[in-house]
Amino acid sequence: MKILVLNLQGAKRAMLFGDERLENLRRLMDMGCFGELEGDPLEWNVLARHENHTLTQNEFVVQAGKDFAAFDDFTPLQTKLESGMWDCCQLDASFLTGGGSADPYLDFDRSLGDTLQHLNDDTLLAVIGENCFVLVAPNNPITGYQDGSTLDLTPTILELAGYPLPSAVEGKSWVAGMELKSASGLTEEEEAMLRERLSGLGYI
Amino acid sequence: MKKAIVIGLDGFEPKIAEALMARGELPNLMKIREQGGYSRLKTTASAQTPVAWSTFSTGTNPGGHGIFDFLTRDTKTYLPIMALSRYEQKNAFVLPKVVNMRRGTPFWDLLSAEDIESTIIRVPCAYPPDKVKGRMLSGVGVPDLRGGFGTPTFYSTRAIHSTEQSEKVIAVSVEDGRVATHVIGPRDSKTKSDHKFDINIEIRKTETKIIITSQGQPDKLEVGLGKWSKWLKVKFKVGIMQSVSGIVRFNLRQIEPDFELYASPVNFDTEEPLFPISSPQEYAHDLAMKIGRYYTAGMAEDHDGLNNERFDESAYLDQCRIVLRERRKMMEYELGRFEKGFFFCLFDTPDRLAHMFWRFTEPNHPANRGEDVSRYAKVIEEHYRECDGIVGEAMKYADNDTLFAVLSDHGMNSFQRGLNVNTWLYQNGFLALKSGFKPGESGGFFQNVDWDKTKAFAMGLGCIFLNMKGREANGIVNVEEAEKVREGIVSGLTGLVDEARSAVAVRGVGRREQMYSGPYANEAPDLLVNFSEGYRVSWDTPLGGAPQGLFADNVKKWGGDHVIDPALSSGVLFMNKKFSAEAPGLVDLAPTILNALGVQKGAEMEGSDLFS
Repeated sequence: MKILVLNLQGAKRAMLFGDERLENLRRLMDMGCFGELEGDPLEWNVLARHENHTLTQNEFVVQAGKDFAAFDDFTPLQTKLESGMWDCCQLDASFLTGGGSADPYLDFDRSLGDTLQHLNDDTLLAVIGENCFVLVAPNNPITGYQDGSTLDLTPTILELAGYPLPSAVEGKSWVAGMELKSASGLTEEEEAMLRERLSGLGYI
Repeated sequence: MKKAIVIGLDGFEPKIAEALMARGELPNLMKIREQGGYSRLKTTASAQTPVAWSTFSTGTNPGGHGIFDFLTRDTKTYLPIMALSRYEQKNAFVLPKVVNMRRGTPFWDLLSAEDIESTIIRVPCAYPPDKVKGRMLSGVGVPDLRGGFGTPTFYSTRAIHSTEQSEKVIAVSVEDGRVATHVIGPRDSKTKSDHKFDINIEIRKTETKIIITSQGQPDKLEVGLGKWSKWLKVKFKVGIMQSVSGIVRFNLRQIEPDFELYASPVNFDTEEPLFPISSPQEYAHDLAMKIGRYYTAGMAEDHDGLNNERFDESAYLDQCRIVLRERRKMMEYELGRFEKGFFFCLFDTPDRLAHMFWRFTEPNHPANRGEDVSRYAKVIEEHYRECDGIVGEAMKYADNDTLFAVLSDHGMNSFQRGLNVNTWLYQNGFLALKSGFKPGESGGFFQNVDWDKTKAFAMGLGCIFLNMKGREANGIVNVEEAEKVREGIVSGLTGLVDEARSAVAVRGVGRREQMYSGPYANEAPDLLVNFSEGYRVSWDTPLGGAPQGLFADNVKKWGGDHVIDPALSSGVLFMNKKFSAEAPGLVDLAPTILNALGVQKGAEMEGSDLFS
């Protein structure tokens, strides 16, 4: 599974989760899971700490032989996504200064909407704000509200995306406790729904 | 010419109009006839609203626009599905997009390209709306909030076992003069349950009314006994983070001994429609700001409520009047600011009203069941006079430099008997049921049909599809064999006699290539059954049922229909300039209107300018 991380440095939880205008983000929250994180917001991408070195999510992905690319702007990111030639992408956007935008949260949501157009279903999308996150993976459907430590995020993302985790990781993946939904075919109930939808025509 | 004003009267039947005019009634239409001319107007195969208006829009036969019926079949599952639009989702992260299945080029696209503005109100098969220079409000094709043609809800303290698919029934109880219940919203695709919007009803017996209290707008809504309420804007929480708005009207049927309340299908909200219903997108809301909230669903008239006998004719008439009044306000507001270009407004009510009141014009109609029909015998004629009044109002906005036209897409006729087309196919060896099953033992949706032995099946309003190898999921008919199968069906059905009435029920069966040509002709049904007056496909046929017996009386209140042989189902055309064409058809309107506005007709357009 591909991984797309939108890392919104300094983006406030109250804004991300509270602003009703952020239609795209809200839809993602309903599709997947979201929640609050405790700990140092800068440590979300820490997977493991060794004596002299901290292993990050991105390094781990590269070690696994996958491609990783970082961006600081949506336009080149979208070009990359559209190409389909990618495994793991990360966008870093700073909300600390506002970036000169009068309405950075709404601007972000619009860019998010455009970006989603370029994805395929076999993708895990993570939106990470200051001590908060949203995770969506249509092929590995996860739902609900989830609290935890900033350090839990990377193992969770990697496990959901199908990477085997190393034995010693800093945080704890939530996947075991998560509700994973399953898809189904045309049920009797769906047939009844189809009938209802068509019956209102009057002619039938 | 500077302006073209076209008023659409859906299902306006020439025989009724001609009889009224012969008596000197319909003065405004008579005036146009004198100024210019009148003719019957050739409709499409089949004679249905979406098919016919799409031909009006594009100037092509249905093979050029791809709409052949309200319904089509899913070739993978054989299930009937809506043919007018479909939902496409680029990936799971984005919202599905509605795609209009009417293809071809509508003539307003050519006007837009020449910088000529159009105002188009409620044209069928423009959902999502065409991006037009000017403004467009979508019509037939816009679903209700549950995604169908319209599902009303009936609340009752009686224990009702509803067998109707076209409604929801909620059992309620009255406690201390109050009822706590909900409005049914969209189905949640994940949980498979319905979203709900809570309402609290206070019954005021002495005042014969109820007050509905909710989180909607307004927070308190009054509904008088037997009356239609104003709109209630409701909001369904469809996720932790998202909500969807809709609008609903109520009709209070009874306070005691039983409490009974009807709720219309929940329409898209004019302000925040679930999917776009206007172009530009904010136009739907701007219009509502001028004339108030209005029905947005393609099927605005609540025929289901009457057909399911949840309310009576008088309530249905009241509701039709509300729809008509709304539409008239739209027309008057837009004509008031219309200076040049193309104007179109469709009134659907003549069609929906005549479907439900036709039986009163025929004392022997099986649906009457001895009922005294005199009370409503003149309703259709009265409505035609009302339509004439609307035409008169619109005429005020036409000057010497205006093409003014009034037309209908098809006529209206009697529907007394229905043919079970799938049962006929079964009896004649074209459709097979699984071993042990007989007709009448299978429900709709081709339940128990043995596809491995089935050569043809009927669905929609007269369509027959062959079970073609390589096209249908379990197709068995080879290309070489196809013509023999078709010939068998055509010769067997043509002239089919309804023994009980000693009448010919089927006048003929059309073959695809005789009726259709163009890029989408390959999507058309292989055959189309052309019925005599008084006949139609039975109620069970459109969704793939095969009941017992060939013919059935139509005992439903929906007692009139027009989906018969198109040659018997012409519409009307009135124009304020002399026109000479011998047998004008819907296909001629696009070139005629374009020419009147100084724009050349499109390359694919098949009709001719009626003024040349």
